[in-house]
Amino acid sequence: MADRGMATGGRGLTEGDVADTAPDWTDAGAARGRTSHASRARRFVADAARTTWHDASLWGVRAKRDAAAAQVPDWETLREDAASTKRDALARLPELWRRFEERASAAGAQVHWARDAREHNEIVARLLRDRHVSRVVKSKSMLTEECGLNPFLEARGIEVVDTDLGERIVQLRHEPPSHIVMPAIHLRRQEVGALFAREMGSAPGLEDPDALTAVARRDLRGRFLAAEAGITGVNFAVAESGAIVVVTNEGNADLGTALPPLHIACVGLEKIVPETRDLAPLLRLLARSATGQAITTYTSHFRGPRPLPGSELHVVVVDNGRSRLLARPDFEEALACIRCGACLNTCPVYRRSGGHSYATTVPGPIGSVLAPARDPGAHADLPRACSLCGSCSEVCPVKVPLHRQLLAWRGVLADEGHVPRHRRAALAFLSALMLRPTTYHVLARVARSLARRLPAPILDRLAAPWTRTRALPPIPAQSFREQMRARRRRREQEHRP
Amino acid sequence: MRVALFVPCYVDQLRPTVGLATLALLEAVGCEVAYPEEQTCCGQPFATAGEPRRAAALGRRFVEVFEAFDAIVAPSGSCVATLRHGLPRWSPDPRAHAVAARTRELCELLGDPATRPLPRGRYPHRVGIHASCHALRELRLGSPSESREPPRPDPARRLLSGLEGLELVEPARRDECCGFGGVFAIEQEAVSARMGLDRLTDHQRAGAEVIVSTDVSCLLQLEGVARRHGHPQRFLHVAEVLAAACGLDGDAGRTS
Amino acid sequence: MSGARDAIFAALEAARSVRVAARVRAPSPALPADPVAMLRERVAQAGGRLQALTRPGSLDEVEWPAPLDTLHHVYSAHPALASRGVGLATTDVHALAALELCVLRAELAVVESGAVWHVPRSPGERAAALLAEHLVVVVPDSGLVATLHGVYERIRLDRIAFGWLLCGPSKTADIEQALVLGAHGPRSFRLVLEPD
Repeated sequence: MADRGMATGGRGLTEGDVADTAPDWTDAGAARGRTSHASRARRFVADAARTTWHDASLWGVRAKRDAAAAQVPDWETLREDAASTKRDALARLPELWRRFEERASAAGAQVHWARDAREHNEIVARLLRDRHVSRVVKSKSMLTEECGLNPFLEARGIEVVDTDLGERIVQLRHEPPSHIVMPAIHLRRQEVGALFAREMGSAPGLEDPDALTAVARRDLRGRFLAAEAGITGVNFAVAESGAIVVVTNEGNADLGTALPPLHIACVGLEKIVPETRDLAPLLRLLARSATGQAITTYTSHFRGPRPLPGSELHVVVVDNGRSRLLARPDFEEALACIRCGACLNTCPVYRRSGGHSYATTVPGPIGSVLAPARDPGAHADLPRACSLCGSCSEVCPVKVPLHRQLLAWRGVLADEGHVPRHRRAALAFLSALMLRPTTYHVLARVARSLARRLPAPILDRLAAPWTRTRALPPIPAQSFREQMRARRRRREQEHRP
Repeated sequence: MRVALFVPCYVDQLRPTVGLATLALLEAVGCEVAYPEEQTCCGQPFATAGEPRRAAALGRRFVEVFEAFDAIVAPSGSCVATLRHGLPRWSPDPRAHAVAARTRELCELLGDPATRPLPRGRYPHRVGIHASCHALRELRLGSPSESREPPRPDPARRLLSGLEGLELVEPARRDECCGFGGVFAIEQEAVSARMGLDRLTDHQRAGAEVIVSTDVSCLLQLEGVARRHGHPQRFLHVAEVLAAACGLDGDAGRTS
Repeated sequence: MSGARDAIFAALEAARSVRVAARVRAPSPALPADPVAMLRERVAQAGGRLQALTRPGSLDEVEWPAPLDTLHHVYSAHPALASRGVGLATTDVHALAALELCVLRAELAVVESGAVWHVPRSPGERAAALLAEHLVVVVPDSGLVATLHGVYERIRLDRIAFGWLLCGPSKTADIEQALVLGAHGPRSFRLVLEPD
């Protein structure tokens, strides 16, 4: 678990292309080869056994989260605290970032500003090139995923090694992470074993997680020792002290910054908090919400470079659509997200459709809120890939009203023309009918009567999307209203003199 | 207590027995029940399908039809949630706020001290409660499994637990979504049905013979999946169970 | 790139929300009735072990992860144990890769989570804590705090270049959610409470 940089990048996995060829990472790619979330999800659930396993794995994480929350007596107050901290910060980002810049600079860090992904990538590439760096270790950062940093650096001859085990696995498979905290949660151990046999020369058939992790540890230890720079994300930036906080369980962000002289930390504009003490509620919630741990193994606070000659700390602050989201009152609260992934774990749709079905850097409920802000045309179906059960909003440690935002997006996207016209026309007809009770009840009666007479196969075909997987209910002869009218008439007759 | 009965459109058309059972229960607890015939739909299907203005138009109509009543009751957590949260958002009209506040889910009302208690009922079956997401998380009828808030009463569960002979069996996941979700059930039919199947399997493992909910929409989904997979359970609205248990279902058999 | 900086601040000013968020602050809880018992449980949950010593100033009672006389490379920040092997050569952080044991002294331990707050004395010490096979952290009895609130009330983040919370051995569950200790860093973690 490391930085959960906000992301809205469109990562398209096209049908029939799951692992062996590199998917097109860009929004344009997503738009070109576009299939809907529904069709990708259909492919996922078609493998019933894998769906059962994927659902159970993530439900297990949700259960651990519940148990961890139960260990904290003032859990709901902590959520209030964290939610108000993040909203307070969002309400005064300019002054907080000015203060951060001043304090971090005073501590010897250099602060850079990037309007978009390209500027971010260019700043990082320039820092590396100027120092003749060719080997970089990177700890998990959803922001650098969002910006497509790896391919950008690789195209410039710089080797980037993702060091989080899950990230390393998906990097070697040339696919995006399917989860923001557990990047390889979609893979079975056999698949990891086969990958390591191919890429790291481990024994074929090896599938014990302990043994596979040991293989990766050996391989990556050498890369840590040889690295000339470390890139990390940032979980929290603290305005008061100019510090950045990075959390991991593996210690990969720490090894990647303790050994090489150059540390580049990439941070989204929404990651800042006002004061040091604000970290307490946020950190008490983060790991418990994410994995059910009380706290991650490593929670590192960097303020300035290492006190060794030649050491540097650069902080790259990235907008990339965040200020645009901040300008939308309906959706700005999504910027409070601390990337714990709890909404993914609890989402009944995510668990049964897999992270790749969202075709975005950040999948699941929070991803479905963020993605349309960046490219409404490419991601208009995501806010509808939700049954509005509301579980996401309940687990969110910073109380982002996720399901309300998903509902709000549906209206906005329909108005912006991203819903098929025939679908809107059908709803227009139905709502007009509902405003005219007499016509509605006559038509409904006719429809019921027809449905009762039609042969089942024909009726099934007419009700197709429903009946593909479900039986229709028996259709009653009389509606409740009709029965009430009949009853009233009976009573009137009885009382007639 | 004078109450207006709102029978949601899909209940009216597809499960009228739920309306009849609701009426019988309300009368049994001493309510004077009016059924305004001009009622149609609360607007929820349009809200969830991304047409908030069309939902708002139906919401305004709902206010016109129901504003004369002290209390409005519906056998649906989902529609009541839409009305309670939607009406105030859709209209600045203070009447909309008042109607929203007076609209209640059936079991909420049945537990109200202003009504008489139901007669003692008997229902000798193993029952699994399917928690409707909207009754639970929007109306807070009960405590969602995610939340650490102080426990809240769950009126449907309380009413069912009071029935003699009824054995409540608990699924492992106590409040996961059935996968209905309105337009979601159609647009995301594959995932939706898989959610329904998983919910059903969970109840089946717990040993439920009858699966009971405050919401017919959840029941249609679960029953639809069960029939397709040949599962034998019965799917009943809480009003149907209570009316049958208390011997109030005289009218309920006369449908279909 | 001052152009980018100015543009970002202009965009943030333009988007500035008029809503002022009311701050809620969760209380900083007091220590539980039996802090050592809870700490022991939470350290164990994080894959580590807790040991409470009875005598100050000595590490004789510590149950080391391996017999001390079998270890050739040790880094120790505790005066009761001397560094040896590459543990002495803290100027080249890369040389520390051979470390078998690292002993740290930390200020605070968080009862609720099992984490310790540690400020490395040098970049070498920080690297040693990551590269060693086994990590032992010694915290004074007086350093127990209930939660992270207690940590941030006591430390001055604006006076250090680096500080961290450490909790248990390095770990991962990235392969089928199976917990594996020793992902990149130490494979074992002992928290030792030392009387003041």
